[in-house]
Amino acid sequence: MTFFSVVIRGLWRRPLRTGLTLAGISIGIAAVVALVGMSRGFEKGWQAGLKARGTDIVVTSREGSLTPKRFDASVRDRIASLPHVAVTCNILVEVTSVEDSDLMILSAREWGCFAWNNLELVSGRMPRDAVEETVVLGQTAAEVLKKKVGDPIQIETKQLTVVGIVKGGALVEDGSVILSLPLLQGIMGAPNRINVIDVRVTPSTTEQQIKELTRQIGQQASGVRAVTVSEHLSHSEGFRLVRAMSWGTSLLAILVGVLGVMNTMLMTVFERTHEICVLLAVGWTRGRIMRMILYESALLGLLGGVVGVAIGAVGVKVLSATPAIRGLLQPDLSIALLGLSVVIAVAVGISSGLYPAWRSSRLNPSVALQAG
Amino acid sequence: MSAIAASFLEAKALTREFDEGQVKALRGVDFSIEEGEFVAIVGPSGCGKSTLLQLLGALDRPTSGTLLYRGISLPDHPNPAAYRARQVGFIFQAFHLLPTFTAAENVQIPMFEIDRSASERRNRAFELLKLVGLDHRLDHFPSKLSGGERQRVAIARSLANGPSLLLADEPTGNLDSENAQSVLNLLIRLQQEQGRTMVLVTHDATIAERAGRILRMIDGRIVADDKR
Repeated sequence: MTFFSVVIRGLWRRPLRTGLTLAGISIGIAAVVALVGMSRGFEKGWQAGLKARGTDIVVTSREGSLTPKRFDASVRDRIASLPHVAVTCNILVEVTSVEDSDLMILSAREWGCFAWNNLELVSGRMPRDAVEETVVLGQTAAEVLKKKVGDPIQIETKQLTVVGIVKGGALVEDGSVILSLPLLQGIMGAPNRINVIDVRVTPSTTEQQIKELTRQIGQQASGVRAVTVSEHLSHSEGFRLVRAMSWGTSLLAILVGVLGVMNTMLMTVFERTHEICVLLAVGWTRGRIMRMILYESALLGLLGGVVGVAIGAVGVKVLSATPAIRGLLQPDLSIALLGLSVVIAVAVGISSGLYPAWRSSRLNPSVALQAG
Repeated sequence: MSAIAASFLEAKALTREFDEGQVKALRGVDFSIEEGEFVAIVGPSGCGKSTLLQLLGALDRPTSGTLLYRGISLPDHPNPAAYRARQVGFIFQAFHLLPTFTAAENVQIPMFEIDRSASERRNRAFELLKLVGLDHRLDHFPSKLSGGERQRVAIARSLANGPSLLLADEPTGNLDSENAQSVLNLLIRLQQEQGRTMVLVTHDATIAERAGRILRMIDGRIVADDKR
């Protein structure tokens, strides 16, 4: 018999309670995995979309929620003349409901700009010009909306025609309805308004020069912010909100887990007062008693973490396949996130066991000598 | 000049009070016990004999007075857990075995505090259970053992780390007369064969008669010290 088997035996005394506590931690950790994995997947998807379009710098307004606030398209004129700017593309992005899909990305691009170039036709054709009342759908968007070439599509109050299905090289592109900029501006009643300018720099531009350029853009046009693609998401209000919500909800779930483990370990200490006193009477140190309780709670955390990661990973895969969010994101279940979740679970276990362990070490062993 | 050897156990003016002095369990106890002695402490319920046993086992601290083990003050012992683990073997009236551990595992519990491998612990538990006649009950849980068998396991556990002092609190109090006799014989045999010191608390005069010395307590004081 080893000390570890003593620890396991402690948990095994009450298998139902241990199981329920494990379930509590597992649900908390599954929430962390699912929510954080989804929000990170959401971010990564957008980032991949920007990269697929060949964008180096993203210019957006300083305000906004999930999509940035609109600004005047003339801002582009002030940017285009700056050194190292190769080409620019005015874009209007909206996330809205389209027919049966509650969340669909509408990506309206300046006709003929580089943001159209990464789209590879799978079937049909591209729109003929900027004013033709047509759209192309990313493959996933076409599946979600159940559309094929030639089908009508209702966007807000306007009926357009699907003329092509495209591959965009990134999840966000594949999950979007893509159309020309003036068309969406007209539908939204926002002529000459955009909310993103994608900027491509000249090929020899260094990282330092790109940084300098972002600073200059910010100076040239008030109210807008220029960031590199990798920085873009960390500055985005929308993504910060999603990130904060996912971690906030996760922390609540973790807090519930902490209280569950603490309750279980306190119950354990109360129930095992007699046993702990016997252990002290036969020479166990208070430190060993504390270690026993802490190992038990840490083991609960570890097991809960492993089970929670498994539940979270499976759950998020199922969730991401649901019609409501399919095509919008590919969950990012990196080893780092899964590892972090297990570490959080163990930390939950240990921190929840600290007070019960301290309580157990304060017991007076002389009570064990009393008959009965 | 040769140094005078300290007694094995020595108490001077030992008191123990509870509830801020309202309850006086020990009211000035003096005695000395030499190594290898078998001492019975007898007296009516509430006379302080169990309290005295707790002090001898460093499970509790006296309110005042001196209590020495081989010349070392027990209340000031730097590591009372180590003293209990290595020098003291407790045997309780209610056995106090851990219900979720087998007989062999219960015997191994005190051995975690000394430097022994898992296989050494297992072998030692087997030896001790054989010594108390329970080598056929190694893997039985306490609930599957009779009262006499449980107390034998408890005795084996008390010997786990080769203690110099056995402290037994009414060890036969929960046993029928046949089992009580058998357990008492076992305790006396183990005490005598291995030259250990044993302090046994009882209210049963016939058990006390088996001891080499009887300390009689009434109302927190030793009123007689019969050496036989």
